Amino acid sequence: MDLVALQNWLDNASFAVLFLTMLIYWGSAAFPGIPYLSVLGTTGMAIANLGIAALLGARWLDAGYFPLSNLYESLFFIAWGITAMHFLAEQMSQSRLVGAVTAPVAMAITAFATLTLPAQMQQSEPLVPALKSNWLMMHVSVMLLSYAALMVGSLLAVAFLVVTRGQNVELKGSSVGTGAYRDARYRLQRSNSAEAIPALNEPLGSESGGTTAVLPAVTSLTTKATLPLSPQRLTLAETLDNISYRIIGLGFPLLTIGIIAGAVWANEAWGSYWSWDPKETWALITWLVFAAYLHARITRGWQGRRPAILAASGFVVVWICYLGVNLLGKGLHSYGWFF
Amino acid sequence: MTSDPSTPSLLENWRYSIQRYFKRELIPLLADLRLAILLLLVIALFSVTGTVIEQGQPLSFYQANYPEHPALFGFLSWKVILTLGLDHVYRTWWFLALLILFGSSLIACTFKRQLPALRWFSRTWNFYTQPRQFQKFALSAEVEQASMSDLIPLLEQRRYRIFQQGDALYAHKGLMGRIGPIVVHIGILVILAGAIFGAMTGFFAQEMVPSGQTFQVRNIVDAGPWAAAQIPKDWSVKVNRFWIDYTPDGTIDQFYSDLSVLDRNHTEVDRQTIHVNKPLRYKGVTFYQADWGIAGIRFRLNNSPVLELPMGLLNTGGAGRLWGTWLPTKPDLSEGLSVIAKDLQGTLLLYDMQGRLVSTVRSGMSTEINGVTLSIVDVIGSTGLQIKADPGIPVVYTGFALLMVGVMMSYISHSQIWALQTQDGFYIGGKTNRAQVAFEREMLAILEQLDQQMAASSPASLEQSLV
Repeated sequence: MDLVALQNWLDNASFAVLFLTMLIYWGSAAFPGIPYLSVLGTTGMAIANLGIAALLGARWLDAGYFPLSNLYESLFFIAWGITAMHFLAEQMSQSRLVGAVTAPVAMAITAFATLTLPAQMQQSEPLVPALKSNWLMMHVSVMLLSYAALMVGSLLAVAFLVVTRGQNVELKGSSVGTGAYRDARYRLQRSNSAEAIPALNEPLGSESGGTTAVLPAVTSLTTKATLPLSPQRLTLAETLDNISYRIIGLGFPLLTIGIIAGAVWANEAWGSYWSWDPKETWALITWLVFAAYLHARITRGWQGRRPAILAASGFVVVWICYLGVNLLGKGLHSYGWFF
Repeated sequence: MTSDPSTPSLLENWRYSIQRYFKRELIPLLADLRLAILLLLVIALFSVTGTVIEQGQPLSFYQANYPEHPALFGFLSWKVILTLGLDHVYRTWWFLALLILFGSSLIACTFKRQLPALRWFSRTWNFYTQPRQFQKFALSAEVEQASMSDLIPLLEQRRYRIFQQGDALYAHKGLMGRIGPIVVHIGILVILAGAIFGAMTGFFAQEMVPSGQTFQVRNIVDAGPWAAAQIPKDWSVKVNRFWIDYTPDGTIDQFYSDLSVLDRNHTEVDRQTIHVNKPLRYKGVTFYQADWGIAGIRFRLNNSPVLELPMGLLNTGGAGRLWGTWLPTKPDLSEGLSVIAKDLQGTLLLYDMQGRLVSTVRSGMSTEINGVTLSIVDVIGSTGLQIKADPGIPVVYTGFALLMVGVMMSYISHSQIWALQTQDGFYIGGKTNRAQVAFEREMLAILEQLDQQMAASSPASLEQSLV
């Protein structure tokens, strides 16, 4: 079978499928009443995911090394990563809004790789000596997966910001456990235990950003106080916030491991684990920005929408780190550019 | 206070007030999360400047690219860049001071916040004995007729560690997720310590050595104040051969250097062929394949013995690298050839005195010029080696390992569940720190299973309700 023809067919097909998938997800977000739309969207995403995997597999067979050596291949790998992270986020959140933000980005990446990149940059080329190492696969694939995860997490933060525009929100989830407590409005209780309920003196409650609210609503609720205690469910915005946090929480270790793998490789290959090369520096900047996001979630006075704004700006930082640095065109990390 | 209050010396007073300042002012400030976030973002911001402004260029570069009139953005002239050290951001005193402040903040945070919090979470007796204590949780419920014996298998199934005291139950899993951030912080501190230690005791050198020569490490580019012990003095390295493998279409496949380590008596103690990604290590010093050049040519004129001429790198104004030499063809040096080489594939270009290309010759071949037969025996390559010793590496790698393990542990969510059996009913409540959505699903599943068990195990009550 002609692998090159297969690749050309697969990249166009992935782009077309992702374009349709994006429209389906948008339709599903706009008209939640239409049945089967979200199932159709998930199917489209699965086809795109497998198509891109087949494309990269064909190139691997073709070139004889893991296909991560030029811009075209890395773009498709990152698009594959975004579709994979999409499944994780969709499965975790059970929300069709995930696809409404991930599909357009995956579509845009494949469109750029397929349509905008000149043909000679789409061909696979022999590796330069510095990249001939097993570390290539380890370092680059983990880095790209982390970019994909961080992008999906940032996109969910954008979705969260859109859903909660003009609202006051309480964060769900952080390393100290923000948002595990009942909203005062939902406090129901039995009449026989209604006497004197001060805010419980939770040792770490003070760190969760004043989320242990006092109970002004208690007395007004005593009328329906015979209702038994039942769980307070998460809202859509809260779910988006928590899944965004979890996906970024997954991308962050991947980024850390990817940077460290790069540092160890650099030290083994040319004797310096850190040389402040622009790409390295931007990976560190990305790491610092998302570290700031993770810490903002546990900071009093930084609750509500502000961490999500930081996460959403992280989307731009990841793109500068991934592509913007190429424009400087220096160092080993340049995949090349076309102007 | 001082140990002898009757004679409080000035010194002790000072010490007391300094201690007080540390405890009351400095450490709480350093442990403040807002300072930590600010530091993270400020370090990020200053790191950006180093990727936008070219680093480590000569003065003339900045004068040409950042003129005073008009200054970039109205202020960014070469004078400003050099005064602030923006030509070497990552080595300026203020950037290093930021990193030290960052490290201090990490230490303060670890001891002041993380460790005390962990002590609370790791204790196993957080029992709740009042129904009202369950009301604060978002995920809590009152289940009629359920009992501990129904709940415990459900929690065991989900790998909770269960503690019981009377009618109260406490179960948790994923305590790793609470330890993770501490390991991350310690890992970063270890990396910073290793980097400082390495900078103090390590050195970095570069050597360009022709094939066949023996060298000692001399051309030291950078060395820490305590690096002397690392620099090799009683052994040397011989470059047996340097060569390049080319792919069929002429691009470089790989560079190789065959190196021998020689001791004081010039006997070989180690021999390795290195290439990019595979260095030679000997007594804590590492030799990396980094660069290459052409050292010279070996040739014969008519029936002469093999002669050798060095080649020099020509100034091409940035248009690729060329090496050249001048080869006399008459004994009185009145006539000769310019010999130009571009790579180690063996082809040499020969130009006459008028600058015309007269011939090309490959090594091992010969050509007839000016009435003499020029045979090229060999083109000698030289290998560019980077030589480095960094005793801080084991420390830095330990930090890397801690950091990687720590961030992975930090993904785990620490889930805690409380239950209480009273005469009025069975209370269950729980919380998790990170995975709220997943934990909600888990709690709802537990509650549902409790309901089903009740329905299944007590058909009597089911019948009653049907009647």
